[in-house]
Amino acid sequence: MTYGPGTRVRALAGDPDHHTRVPRYVRGHVGEIVEQEGEWPLPDDRARGITPPRVEAVYAVRFPARDLWGTGSHTVTVDLWESYLEEVAPRES
Amino acid sequence: MGGQDGFGPVPVGDDGAPFQADWEAKVFALSRALRRNGAFNLDEMRDAIERIPPEDYLAASYYERWLIAMEMILAEKGLA
Repeated sequence: MTYGPGTRVRALAGDPDHHTRVPRYVRGHVGEIVEQEGEWPLPDDRARGITPPRVEAVYAVRFPARDLWGTGSHTVTVDLWESYLEEVAPRES
Repeated sequence: MGGQDGFGPVPVGDDGAPFQADWEAKVFALSRALRRNGAFNLDEMRDAIERIPPEDYLAASYYERWLIAMEMILAEKGLA
């Protein structure tokens, strides 16, 4: 799965029992793909000593600040690995 | 603990210096040296910082957390 710019994606809502780089403030929220930032080793695997770690596409994902914190007219862009994301069906958004 | 809000402002030195004390520079250098030699990677370091018990995490300064985390990793890997 490769997400193109403008694709609406939801960040994983779960709280894994290991290190992850999904910030709590975006979990479960819907954002929009800005662009792909190349492919990088998954920090969750690297932190647990899993070798070789999975290598995944990393995306810049833009979230409206108001959705995350209930206030603000700006957006927040976060780098997220592909397995942190699920595509949102158009009618769900 | 990482990434949570509601803990107030982060104290930052107003003189622009990267370190507030010599020991902080030594902790920084030690972390770079250990990583370069393969003792741990950046994600293991972040994981260790997150595993510091909350009461210790909240009582520690930024570089004290780095030092605690490095001590944890070296002990866990039998390198200490």
